Amino acid sequence: MSEVRCLNCLKRFTVHSQVKEASCPHCKTKYRISWPTPNQAKVRGLA
Amino acid sequence: MWNRKIAIVDLSAKTVTAKPIPREIRKKYLGGRGLNMYLLYNHLQPNVDPLGPENLLLVGSGLLAGIPCLGSGRCDIAAKSPLTGAVGDSNIGGFFAPELRLAGYDHVAITGKADSPSYLLLKDGAIEIKDASHLWGKDTFDTQEALRRDEHDEKLVSLVIGVAGENLVRYANVRTGMKNAAGRTGMGCVMGSKNLKAIAARGTTPIEFADPDNLLRYCREMNEMITSTRWAKAQSRWGTMIIYSNTNTTGLIRTRNFQLNRLVDGEDLEPENIDRYSIGTSGCFGCAVHCRHRYVLKEGPYAPLYGEGPEYTSLGAFGTMLDCRKMETILVANHLVNKYGLDTLETGGLIAWAMELYEKGLINEESTDGLQLKWGNEDVVFDLIRKIAYREGFGDTLADGFKPAIAKVGTDSEYYAIHVKGMSNLHSDERPTPSFALGIATSTRGADHLRSRPAIDMYGLPENMLKEIYGGSVATDYSSYDGKSRMVWWQERLYAVTDALGVCKFQTVFCAVHAPKWREFSTLINLATGMTITEDELMRVGERIYTLERLFNLREGFSRQDDSLPDRYFTEPTPIGLPVAKGKKIDREKFDAMLTEYYDLHGWNLQGVPKSETLKDLNLSKEPSKLF
Amino acid sequence: MQRILVVDPERCTGCRLCEAACSLFKEKKCAPEHARVQVTKWENQGIYIPIVCQQCETPICEVVCPMHAIKRDSNTNAIVIDENTCVGCRLCAQFCPIGGISIDENASRLIKCDLCSGDPVCVEFCQPEALKHIEPLKLGTMKKRTAAEKYSEYLRKTLDTH
Repeated sequence: MSEVRCLNCLKRFTVHSQVKEASCPHCKTKYRISWPTPNQAKVRGLA
Repeated sequence: MWNRKIAIVDLSAKTVTAKPIPREIRKKYLGGRGLNMYLLYNHLQPNVDPLGPENLLLVGSGLLAGIPCLGSGRCDIAAKSPLTGAVGDSNIGGFFAPELRLAGYDHVAITGKADSPSYLLLKDGAIEIKDASHLWGKDTFDTQEALRRDEHDEKLVSLVIGVAGENLVRYANVRTGMKNAAGRTGMGCVMGSKNLKAIAARGTTPIEFADPDNLLRYCREMNEMITSTRWAKAQSRWGTMIIYSNTNTTGLIRTRNFQLNRLVDGEDLEPENIDRYSIGTSGCFGCAVHCRHRYVLKEGPYAPLYGEGPEYTSLGAFGTMLDCRKMETILVANHLVNKYGLDTLETGGLIAWAMELYEKGLINEESTDGLQLKWGNEDVVFDLIRKIAYREGFGDTLADGFKPAIAKVGTDSEYYAIHVKGMSNLHSDERPTPSFALGIATSTRGADHLRSRPAIDMYGLPENMLKEIYGGSVATDYSSYDGKSRMVWWQERLYAVTDALGVCKFQTVFCAVHAPKWREFSTLINLATGMTITEDELMRVGERIYTLERLFNLREGFSRQDDSLPDRYFTEPTPIGLPVAKGKKIDREKFDAMLTEYYDLHGWNLQGVPKSETLKDLNLSKEPSKLF
Repeated sequence: MQRILVVDPERCTGCRLCEAACSLFKEKKCAPEHARVQVTKWENQGIYIPIVCQQCETPICEVVCPMHAIKRDSNTNAIVIDENTCVGCRLCAQFCPIGGISIDENASRLIKCDLCSGDPVCVEFCQPEALKHIEPLKLGTMKKRTAAEKYSEYLRKTLDTH
């Protein structure tokens, strides 16, 4: 589990471990996700 | 550290003297950029030719050089800029600053011009001006290797220029190691104008600190503080390129010069793709973050090639701005500019401008000596980089920077030139972010993010947290203009102090909120030097440094008019991006109001001239004063 | 439990925090030349190798010392020089095959890692963990795991498991 900040609405949301895609539950923007460390996610780009 | 001196070198007269650095000057300016600005403002005659022998080249290690934390190996290089005519100042990491200090010196002031190619050697107190004829024409990597060989010392550390500096390209940089560069404002050009190929240092004189045991303990705390931030963890993994993930996704990145704000189909430039080429990361002196990759190209026409980086800036300079979409293009271009000693941002910015002029028909193959300056044409990019460094054909036009190039190509071309005060902006698109836009406009060295960028503005932090950091009200929304002048003012002072201490900007409040800042810096100064400088006093040191730079620029004829943005920021809305960044442009009236507010915070009048009470308050009323 | 100081050059970033921290702790100064651990670099190829005394099982320094001034500290497992017995012949530094003992610039002092009484400062400062102070068995396990990871990637691909 980790959090990322949505780049559109700037709210943080939870992503599950090692997922490769996730959508912001607030504004629905869909991202590709990557993991700089096993416990920390970041946005990679738009899905 | 108190016995470290300033070396004063006159290359024309071939004389060298050394002077102590008085404590009261240390307390006012610390070291690095701060002390360099004191020296520059007070010892350079106004309105000199930046390429004349009278220009003063200053090299200074930060006050904290040598402590085991926060990347304390940073060195500051200053002179009057041959690119802009304003303050020339550029900060460089790597290993030079601690080595200079171990050699017995904290600052080197160089004036005059050597009658033939020379290098300066500082070794355990001794200083020699030595012949560099055999090094002239060598690239930046070979020059360093040759110096280590010539001096029979594998631990020799050098600041060098490449052929770009020799050929007086006005944005030639100064380099050390494989990757580190004092990139901006053409300090390598100043070295070239002095026939100075390199400054080499080597020393074994230990650096003493006031309270070594507590310093060691505190440094460890500092390293933990920075490496526990989310920002540093990601940066340790993929370097500054991680910014691309946010900016390109959002739509904050200049593409095709200034036509788009996101590189569509730009997946290959994502930082994660450096893993294909990386053999590991590399760090500057005293750095626990290690943000650059060591990369190898094993295949293709440029292989085999070993390089370090690339930085986020190169992804823009040779990627998005030129519409080149392959990571390999970036790796090769990064290697080439490093080898020749060219500033990546200026080079990419000028090529992007030329490509747009070519597209718009303002230049054609006749003016570019046959080069087809089409978007994404990587071979032309590589060729043009070389031509700039050697001042060949169209490369010669671009080698003088924006203002002379516009004069040569024609005034119609000015609209497409994305520069402030004659210096190219990096590839970020500041139209959706007024705080960033103000920062590049007010930057004393021309368009640049490293003077003030409040990157944490992007995080939508709660107002109470912003108030606590910035000491006043700042809007959460990054597209707002409210309180953003305060942010820029605060960051300008913080970065001035960071550069004076010689620690890394990425290890203070730049991209990470919970990073060391005033209080931690104050503690480090006390433990390392014994000086007591409170947080408030430290902010005043930042103000003093920034105000002195302002005074320098005013003396050189700059004014409020120069604290502005290219017209396109005000006229063209961003065409694409996430809803938060799309359709944005800078509002001229709000921008002006923000600028006035910003002057007021600094204690400068409506024209941006420091008020007499401000100068008095900063103990600047008696400047110029002399150290030598 | 006995621990050993292990160097993993593949993880070294060349930042020299180890040198700065070691000398600050042992010498109370920043004196990389006096640091017990030092990073040797091939900068133009991006190769960095920290070199530090390996506290050998059969220490050549101990063997060649005519004064029997070099002994193992049973608490830390470090090979230490007894300054009161040492006559400064420097044979130890000359015979050590890995440069584990340095001589200072005045040729008056031997400089050697003593594992900081059991908690090496360099290890505390080495963020990428190129320097580790670990139980001997762990080294083998660690190396085996690194090698096995490569095979596991291959297996995951061929067996299509996750």
